[in-house]
Amino acid sequence: MKLTRVLVVEDDVDIQKVIRMSLKLRGVSEVVLVESCAECFDRLGGFAPEVILLDVMMPHVDGYETCRRLKQDPATRKIPVVFLTARVQKADRERGMKLGALGYLTKPFDPMTLHDQILKLLLEDAEKQNEKDGDADE
Amino acid sequence: MMAERNILDSLGSGLLVLDAHDRVSFVNRTLAEMLHVSAEECVGHSAGEFAVVMARFALPAALPRFDWPDSFGSRDIEWRDGETLRFFREDSAPLAAGMAARGSAGQGKVFAYHDVSHEKAVDRMKSEFIAVASHELRTPMTSIKGSVDLILSGFAGETSPEMQELLEIAQKSCDRLVRLVNDILDLSKIEAGQLKLNLERLDVTEIAVRAICAVKPLADKTGVRLRVYRPLPLPIVEADPDRIEQAITNLVSNAVKFSPPNAEVVVELSSDNLWVQCAVCDQGVGIAEKDLHRIFGKFQQLSEGRRRGGTGLGLAITRGLIDEHRGSIWVESRVGEGSRFIFRLPIASPPSPSAPALAGQAVKP
Repeated sequence: MKLTRVLVVEDDVDIQKVIRMSLKLRGVSEVVLVESCAECFDRLGGFAPEVILLDVMMPHVDGYETCRRLKQDPATRKIPVVFLTARVQKADRERGMKLGALGYLTKPFDPMTLHDQILKLLLEDAEKQNEKDGDADE
Repeated sequence: MMAERNILDSLGSGLLVLDAHDRVSFVNRTLAEMLHVSAEECVGHSAGEFAVVMARFALPAALPRFDWPDSFGSRDIEWRDGETLRFFREDSAPLAAGMAARGSAGQGKVFAYHDVSHEKAVDRMKSEFIAVASHELRTPMTSIKGSVDLILSGFAGETSPEMQELLEIAQKSCDRLVRLVNDILDLSKIEAGQLKLNLERLDVTEIAVRAICAVKPLADKTGVRLRVYRPLPLPIVEADPDRIEQAITNLVSNAVKFSPPNAEVVVELSSDNLWVQCAVCDQGVGIAEKDLHRIFGKFQQLSEGRRRGGTGLGLAITRGLIDEHRGSIWVESRVGEGSRFIFRLPIASPPSPSAPALAGQAVKP
């Protein structure tokens, strides 16, 4: 199994390129790059990603606030969000996870395993959902 | 006597003296003002009663420990007075024999409270600066590491053996830079007293096993065998599992780096009435006696350590982590015979259904 559609919210153009190449390397067909929270919402109008890869430190609206808005909006709340950030402290991670993110990955990342790390988070989440649904059926 | 009192009242630091029966025999004006009481009305009350008054200001983690005879030393406490948060350093010591004899029989205790709020603010600023610097360094490192890793993967086309070798040097150095930034961030938090421990009641054995699993891939490269030796079950300690794992992992990976191929590294776990002890023992090169005193310092690694990819901060961080747990750490070593890095953590007191109540009646403010 592999990812096919990923939206990357990242304001550093060089890191954008590295992320795109690292995902393309693993066969992700659509990697859409945006630089800000506003662009992220604009792009989501016509693009349904399997996951949003979200930086934290961005001008104007940061990644935490972007995640909060995504999780508040009924149209976007179900799209899994994975942070990819240079904010590595425990408190930063806890803050991100509390906002409803699926995962919190840190920079520098390994471009050879980025795809697999995201996929693992998605699969684990799907498994949890299945267990929940199973419990509800009983 | 009056002159002595005036001198002690003029001090900027708070001062408390308990007699041999743990009753308040002296409070100077500064401490009385900190507590909004008069110095005279404190005298004669029990340490327990005085602790209740202190507890109105000292935050829960810093409750007074007047009845712990082993707790002499220095610690920082948070002090909330209305909206104002201040930090005090509490120094405690047994009362000098001559001084105690004047007021009562036997030995008493003296506690001094110094306002360290300014130092704390500076530490916090330093720590914030390092957190920001860490973020700013990570951003270009992400681009460098990402680009080099991608080229090495063959994604951008074939590379000649020479290019490959040069890129591997860049990759290795970048990884080392990342470790260095991580270590500096950890150490600055420890030094600023901002490391928040998530304390749990735990068995160190489980943590040691986890640490060994984490180091195994490194050990496998040179055939070094890793083993946990625990002849008897261990008492429970109260500790942050992630931080103790970090400490043991640091010690075990150091031991592996300095071991000859196919040697053995053993984590020995034991306990007595007060402590759980963890000793990481190797059969490596050992440390010369002249270097032992500086081994836990920052950037004090011996040239061998740098050659083996260390950052020079691992042992300083490990010591900081153990100190934060009120433990102690030391090393025993001889050149050619290997080293034993040993740390101790205090055994946890038995779990209680609720927080212990402070005895006695409060001193009226």
